[in-house]
Amino acid sequence: MSSQTYPGGVVIANPYPVDQVKIIQAPLPNKVVLPLQQRIGEEAKSCIKVGDRVLTGQVIAQTEDQFCVPIHASISGIVTAIDKQAIPHKSGLKSTCISIESDGQDEWIKTQGCGSDFLHCDRQTIIDYIQHSGIVGLGGAGFPSHAKLNKAIDCHTLIINGTECEPGVMCDDALMQYHPREVIRGVEILLHITGAQQAIIAIEKDKQEAYQSLLMFNHNDRISLTQLPTKYTSGAEKLLIKTLLDVEIPSGGFAADKGILCQNVSSVKAIFDAVIDQRPLVSRIVTITGDALTPINVEVRLGTSFEQVINLTDVNNQAHDYRMGGMMMGVDIETTQMPICKITNCIFVNNKTLKQPAKECIRCNTCNTVCPIGLLPQQLYWHAKSENIEKCTDYHLSDCIECACCSYVCPSNIDLVSYFSFAKALDKKQTADQERIDIARDRFEFREYRLDRNKEERSKMMAEKKQALKEKMAKDKEQGLEQTDKIAQAMARVKKTKEDNA
Amino acid sequence: MHSTGLNTNQIMRQVIYALALGVSASYIFFGWGIVIQILLGVVSALVIEATFVAMRGRPVLESISDGSAVLTAVLLAISIPSIAPWWIIVVGVAFAIIFGKQLYGGLGSNPFNPAMLGYAFLLISYPLQMTTWPVDFSAFSQAINIIFNALSFDGLSGATRLDEVKIGLSLGNNLASIQVHSISQAWINAGFLVGGIYLLARKVIFWHIPMAFISGIVVMALLVLIFDSQTHLPVQNHLMLGGTMLGAFFIATDPISASTTPKGRLIYGFLIGVLIVVIRNYGGYPDGIAFAVLLMNMTVPLIDQYTQPKVFGRS
Repeated sequence: MSSQTYPGGVVIANPYPVDQVKIIQAPLPNKVVLPLQQRIGEEAKSCIKVGDRVLTGQVIAQTEDQFCVPIHASISGIVTAIDKQAIPHKSGLKSTCISIESDGQDEWIKTQGCGSDFLHCDRQTIIDYIQHSGIVGLGGAGFPSHAKLNKAIDCHTLIINGTECEPGVMCDDALMQYHPREVIRGVEILLHITGAQQAIIAIEKDKQEAYQSLLMFNHNDRISLTQLPTKYTSGAEKLLIKTLLDVEIPSGGFAADKGILCQNVSSVKAIFDAVIDQRPLVSRIVTITGDALTPINVEVRLGTSFEQVINLTDVNNQAHDYRMGGMMMGVDIETTQMPICKITNCIFVNNKTLKQPAKECIRCNTCNTVCPIGLLPQQLYWHAKSENIEKCTDYHLSDCIECACCSYVCPSNIDLVSYFSFAKALDKKQTADQERIDIARDRFEFREYRLDRNKEERSKMMAEKKQALKEKMAKDKEQGLEQTDKIAQAMARVKKTKEDNA
Repeated sequence: MHSTGLNTNQIMRQVIYALALGVSASYIFFGWGIVIQILLGVVSALVIEATFVAMRGRPVLESISDGSAVLTAVLLAISIPSIAPWWIIVVGVAFAIIFGKQLYGGLGSNPFNPAMLGYAFLLISYPLQMTTWPVDFSAFSQAINIIFNALSFDGLSGATRLDEVKIGLSLGNNLASIQVHSISQAWINAGFLVGGIYLLARKVIFWHIPMAFISGIVVMALLVLIFDSQTHLPVQNHLMLGGTMLGAFFIATDPISASTTPKGRLIYGFLIGVLIVVIRNYGGYPDGIAFAVLLMNMTVPLIDQYTQPKVFGRS
């Protein structure tokens, strides 16, 4: 197997390492808050009312959009509210959420699945189970797994992403160490669905225990394990494909176009749970780390508040900075009164520090040397700062994966990637505005054209009518003459008769 | 979370420290002049920078502490004759900082290398003062007297070796009859070379520009030698005379005014080297680093435009 690496990326050791990675089971929460807005797609509509009793795993909201997945109750209990609440999203906006008060029973609803004999289920049925179990990419992107599977239904290679390259995050590592059987079985399900010839599980070299435990449970010769050098961004889908298969997915293209399907290792385990254990996705493993506490991994029900999860470890009493997601691509957050979502892989709790102000860019080019995509971040920064979207496009802004390597190494401490996401948003807005303007102009032009056309048609019609009238009049005149003739003849006849009689 | 690498202020400081060897070599051969010039330059740079930053309504302390004004002043002070009158460095630094940097928007926005802009301004405006070089060691009191009181001492000043070569050749002399070597300049160049290697090792600068710069000089010098070995300097003299090593490792590598792409930096450095030899051999000035750098500064946007690296997923 070729291990073609790519230039760029940064090597960062786990800033808050632990002696042994463990998973703690969080106690059942008293209350969960489940947002109706998923990472991608339209907002789901709730199909329960305030006051209803719901069971664990029961669908409480769904959409008709085939792209989206339904939302399940993560505990059994009473629906206490359906209202707008803070959700973990970088916009900081509130979103409609369903709140459920636990009854402490954790009574599960019976759901459908294949059981351990999944080979007898056809692929579309399994994909439907995966969709109805609410499985999305748990690595952070939140892309619905069934949609990805539908797109890559006849792929030849399956890549299972267990790189977990974001420094500090340990939840996939923990999952691979403690659930290797489920992961391998999950991969077999995916092999069955897609008919792929091979599946490659990619793990970074610093996760030896995870590698060993998967190796021990893997008896399938279509599944192989590959260890990759520990380097941040190695887990980015397109870069991972390049590293493993030496295939470069074109800009704007998808892995599926090349017959490749990537799935996060946690999603694979969730697929196992859904298809074989017949359990929808109602919990996930979250890493709680930072310098203000002892890092832990917790398996927690979705919708549990950040605060409650953080308090499961020995967090100190100082003022904290919070961040969700990875150290590099995560988002700083102000409050911990937010629910754990499917994509919440990690929460950082650090002692509050003063942020170093940014200095001017001296075009030192360090950012360029770490960009895994080969962009020129300092040029992009220059153009993004002056909101010159056209120039940003020239420098391939849309190819930026926002990995934040450039921000990480910048000697002037410039948060380059935030400029890029801003410029992308601006580009989107400008494109939308331009589209609206184009539509309005087209409409106006068509109206003008229509008015002109009507006018022309009318004048043509008038002319035709006039002509017809003229012709008719001429004809009438002729006819009139004939008529006068006839009258004259009749008169003559009358006269003649009168004379004859006389 | 941020990388533990050097920050912008530390980068500037590293460059200043790396100049120490070359400056020491200059001190050993020519005495106190260079030290006084550097002090004069730094003090005036700080005053001018502070004044202009304050006028622009920007945080003064932050600007002064970033080390960029000091670096400009030190580079200019090293580039001019160490026995030039005191106002030369003051005027030069003022021009460099005001017209070379602040009017463009301060640190990071200047298209030209400020030190070289100051140098070119001085060379054109005050050719006499700018071409009177020390030829021997001057003691502290002598240096003070020369710089502040415009006193001249016999045997202390004269033309540089490159100057002498140019004059000798223009008088129709054969190169063989002209002294083309200079121990002092070779040592000073060696000092800057070592300082440059230190910067490379500390990853303050990348190898592209210095390598291309020196290659440009070597290739062009060899090329002109093919046509005429009688009136052109041998390659090693090009490398060890004048400001070659200072230019290769400290001037052309100024990231702000240099090309930013890897390929672009090779082109940029190489063409500076070529231009230096062209100016030395065919131009009106004995040395051409400042003009070569400024000319290439102008081409940076063009070079950058056409040397964008390959982007992942694009052909």
